[in-house]
Amino acid sequence: MRRLYVGGLSHAVTQKELKDRFGKFGDVVDVELRTRRDEEGVPYKTFGYINISISDADLKRCLTVLNKSKWKGGTLQIETAKESFLHRLAQERQAAADPDLQQTAADDGKQNLLDSLSKAGINNFTMKAAVPGTEVPGHKDWVVSKFGRVLPVLQLRCQKGNKARMLKYDPSKYSHNIRKLDRDDADRSTPVSQLTWQVEGGDDDISRKRRGEFPSYEPRRPKKSRPLGADTCKAPDRKRSEQKNSSDLIQSKRFSIGPTRTDAQGDLDSDEEICRLMAAQDSSHHALQQEAEESPLEVVGLEYSVKSGRKGKETPEAPVRCLSDCDVFVDEKTLIPGDEDEYDSADTDELIASRRNLSPLSNERSKGRSQPGEEKVKAVLPLQTLSFKEDSGLEKKRTKTRVLPVLQHGDEEEEEEEESAGSSSDSEYEAMFSNVTRLELSLADLQRLAEEDSQAAGILGSEGDPALAAGPSEQPAPKKGTSPEEILAAILEDSDDDRPRKRKKRKGVTLPPLPAFQGTRSLQETDDLLRREEEEGGGDQMDSRTTETEGQEGEKNGALSQSPVASESSSSSEEDEEERTTETPAAEALLPSQIFSDEGSGEAAPPTLRRKLNAEEEEELQRKANLRRLSALQQRQKKVEEQKKLIQGALANLDAPPPKAGKRIVFDSDDEEENPSQTASSIIQSVEEAAGTRAVANQRAAKDKFSAPQLFDSSEDEDGAEEEENRFDLRPQFEGQAGQKLMALQYRFGTDERFRMDERFLEEEEPDGEAESGLAVEDEALEEEKKKNLSILQNLLGSSKQPSSRTPSKAAKFRDVSTLHYDPSREEHTAFETKTIQTTESKAARRKKREEAQKLPEVSSDIFYEVSGDLKAVFGQTKEELSEAEEENNWDQEEEEEDGGEEEELQTSLLPDDPITTKEESSGFKFSFFGVDGETSSRETTEYKVENIQAPKVSWQQDPRFHDSSSDEEPESQSREAKAEEPPSTMDLFFFYPGDSRLKDGPTLFCRSGQLEEQREDWEERRTMLRRVSSLYLSHVSPHDRVLSGHCY
Amino acid sequence: MRPLTDEETKAMFEKLSKYIGENIKLLVDRPDGTYCFRLHHDRVYYMSEKILKLATNFSRDKLISVGTCFGKFTKTQKFRLHITALDFLAPYAKFKVWVKPGAEQSFLYGNHVLKSGLGRITENTMQYQGVVVYSMADVPLGFGVAAKTTQECRRVDPLSIVVFHQADVGEFIRNEDTLT
Repeated sequence: MRRLYVGGLSHAVTQKELKDRFGKFGDVVDVELRTRRDEEGVPYKTFGYINISISDADLKRCLTVLNKSKWKGGTLQIETAKESFLHRLAQERQAAADPDLQQTAADDGKQNLLDSLSKAGINNFTMKAAVPGTEVPGHKDWVVSKFGRVLPVLQLRCQKGNKARMLKYDPSKYSHNIRKLDRDDADRSTPVSQLTWQVEGGDDDISRKRRGEFPSYEPRRPKKSRPLGADTCKAPDRKRSEQKNSSDLIQSKRFSIGPTRTDAQGDLDSDEEICRLMAAQDSSHHALQQEAEESPLEVVGLEYSVKSGRKGKETPEAPVRCLSDCDVFVDEKTLIPGDEDEYDSADTDELIASRRNLSPLSNERSKGRSQPGEEKVKAVLPLQTLSFKEDSGLEKKRTKTRVLPVLQHGDEEEEEEEESAGSSSDSEYEAMFSNVTRLELSLADLQRLAEEDSQAAGILGSEGDPALAAGPSEQPAPKKGTSPEEILAAILEDSDDDRPRKRKKRKGVTLPPLPAFQGTRSLQETDDLLRREEEEGGGDQMDSRTTETEGQEGEKNGALSQSPVASESSSSSEEDEEERTTETPAAEALLPSQIFSDEGSGEAAPPTLRRKLNAEEEEELQRKANLRRLSALQQRQKKVEEQKKLIQGALANLDAPPPKAGKRIVFDSDDEEENPSQTASSIIQSVEEAAGTRAVANQRAAKDKFSAPQLFDSSEDEDGAEEEENRFDLRPQFEGQAGQKLMALQYRFGTDERFRMDERFLEEEEPDGEAESGLAVEDEALEEEKKKNLSILQNLLGSSKQPSSRTPSKAAKFRDVSTLHYDPSREEHTAFETKTIQTTESKAARRKKREEAQKLPEVSSDIFYEVSGDLKAVFGQTKEELSEAEEENNWDQEEEEEDGGEEEELQTSLLPDDPITTKEESSGFKFSFFGVDGETSSRETTEYKVENIQAPKVSWQQDPRFHDSSSDEEPESQSREAKAEEPPSTMDLFFFYPGDSRLKDGPTLFCRSGQLEEQREDWEERRTMLRRVSSLYLSHVSPHDRVLSGHCY
Repeated sequence: MRPLTDEETKAMFEKLSKYIGENIKLLVDRPDGTYCFRLHHDRVYYMSEKILKLATNFSRDKLISVGTCFGKFTKTQKFRLHITALDFLAPYAKFKVWVKPGAEQSFLYGNHVLKSGLGRITENTMQYQGVVVYSMADVPLGFGVAAKTTQECRRVDPLSIVVFHQADVGEFIRNEDTLT
């Protein structure tokens, strides 16, 4: 029974085939086929094991025959194989199962021994009368010991250190002390000390062991395994190895069961050891594996971005960002205090606006509480708050608060005014006015106040309670608004669109601020309104004034316990307000005051005259003492009120811009949505109120007419006039470059009075400008340096990029060349395009174009028409679209008509053909027209040649391609004639037709036209002539040249 | 302190361009202000014009350092980058090499980067291309020169050098006295 390995089998071999193949040589018991497959299941190796009962001779024969023979696409390789381990295992197991066989064998050996011993005269292992130490005859390794006992000599293998020795243990030498127990008179056992032999003393292990003292058992293997463990620990990933040990244990056990079981029993003490060994191997293996795993590199693309935050900071954009952030931060910081103290920048406005939205009430309260000393702040804040309240359509409390600050302010100013009234010194007034100017922004608020006051006067003259007054305060606004509105509605229906807007803004819950110039527009409109009011208002100002003043006094006294002279204060404040109001428009360059006055006078009275008149009136009033003055002031107030009402919209617009700047979109949307409803409601209210208070309104309006001029006349007319003049003087500051700057600055803030630009800004700016200019020089130097650097850099990199401008976006953008893509939509990328058509135009082509252009007038349309006729035919044949065909028909018709004789010429000149032939040619031409240039050129040339007429300069012919081709061909046309004719010839259909005259004429060319002799003579003559000519030519050329030419060639 | 001559500028840009390529432009032409290179005591400093102006208040011998030192010119007028320039090289670097945590320290002590310590590398890195060395946590550690291309790096044995050390942040400690 042999087991053979058969390799190199083809994958298709079956067990049966294999069995048949080897069956010739012996009895095949079992065939085992194995196929190795790769990961995809494709077999790459097939081999088999065959259990075959075969004789040696047959095996030899089999090997010689079959080994390295080719079978089914594979080369057989046959070898004897080890017994299958399963088989072996089975055998072993079987052997273990029946130990009897072995025992019997051993018994046999024992019996033999006994037999042999007995032969030597030994019975029962005793040899009588034998000296101890003598060998048993016949048995080398048996010795007679004490008492004639036969004992075997033992060969013991002793392993001491690395050497393995064989020790011969002769029991006869160690048997002296043996005693026979069955003998009673036992001689005393000789003490050890008296023994003839000695046990070597000493403390070493061996001597101790000889003495029978064995050390406690210590398994030796474990000691050895420990260093192994240490080795595993060395591996970098100790933990892993340890972890794996557990898993490996199982593996190792599995292994140990099988083939290695015997070995394990023999060599290794326990499964544990095996496990450990295996673990050690595994761990080391794993360590290697890990290294292998780590070794592969990670390769990242160019775009791989480093994630660390650090990079972000360092990127060019980052600093900018940081800076901007810082700026914002700073702004906010500065703004926050600014909100309380100063309003310097537009940003603050935005912030304020937002804050106002959040807490208008708090602002108002704070303002109300704020002390008179902080005039600025108060003034500004109330204005804002007022505008807000108005917008939000707010109520009593707010109105009160509103009133409070303004009134306080008025008080302060009032004192001043009193003083000024006493002394009426310009300087004082100016100081006052300076204060006022700051408040100018608050026109809307002031108007409100005035409105309230007037309301109090008109409606609530009797009311002392501030609360009550506040209650009506809601109404007054609409009421006041109504009067102008009514007027407007009556007179101006055109401006209705704008007005509702204003009103909305007034009530303006969250009103979208309008652009500044809209505000101006509204101002103009307000002016119109004022005019109308004035017109309406009769002449009686005084009455209304007095009544109003009284009412105001009462109201103010009730409302403001602070103001000692409430009436005066209110009046004075209102005066101021008036002035302010007038000024604000002035600031806007509209000079509403002027306009107002002019319009108010309306009748063509020059403002100056009116002013004088007003001044006189004022003087009279002054004479009448305080009441009078107060009344005048109140008049002004009323005027102011009206103005306010009129201008409110505009001012609201103007004031609104700052808030809107922040949230334009929201406001706009709200505005549009809310407009209609709000406007409607406001109008209704206003109408109702207007009906009730019409009389008052009229009075007011009347006053207003005159008040506008009176504004400056009333208390300090001269002062006012001067101030006015001053105001005009101020305006020059807007002249010149710096002035323009100022203007621009001012525009940024619209008509916001808080940020009015005056000389101070101008002066400040100039030094700045100088400094900038000074800096500019250095900057230029740096710029130059930068440019230089960039140029060097360009040279270095070889990139043609222009030094980027300072625009941050450009500079900040890093463009990776590798990611550059062609974007046809970008203009810059046209550089990457290859220009085919235009570039191909040669200079000659251009020149010819030029020539053609010059020739334009000469053009005759003959050729073209012919061609078109052909085109028609061609198209008809090719079944082109009908439309084209039709167009061509038109052409053709014209052409044909015009051509007439020229066609004939053509035919006769080159081809003695019919019109059809010409058509064919023309068809060629036609093709050229639509087809590739090359073709067209050749065919065209033929045509041109024929006619000897320049191509017609028809509009379509100015197609560049056509020009080029045609122009090019002209000189070469003769040479190309032949070529040109060829293509048509290939097309049989086109070229020939039944009864073609060419077919008749052609053969004649082959036949001799005349006598041979004649022709010969002609030829002779010609030849001589040609010779002469050539000789002449040669004589002209100098011999030197000839030589040269000879050299050359 | 003076502006660089053309030759010097060229030398310096050549060196810088090995690391950040055309991104030098971003250093020269910065959107957030005017920055310039100045030569002072054979060293090239990169500073904003503001600092430049401030620095003019000091005499040459008293002025030790202004702005950021990019490197120095050797006696043979070659330019040598200093580690202090890393802050400006790292963000613009075109080719990067990441070292494994185990090899970080070795690199920071001034040793070359071995293949065994190479954790990651930008593709298409050419031989002798300037690279910025990062830790695996993307912290720039220094810069050097690629000793092998990316492809070669895949194959070489673990102990071969893949990046030649030029400067590392360890110099901030080792060469504290000479770094300015």
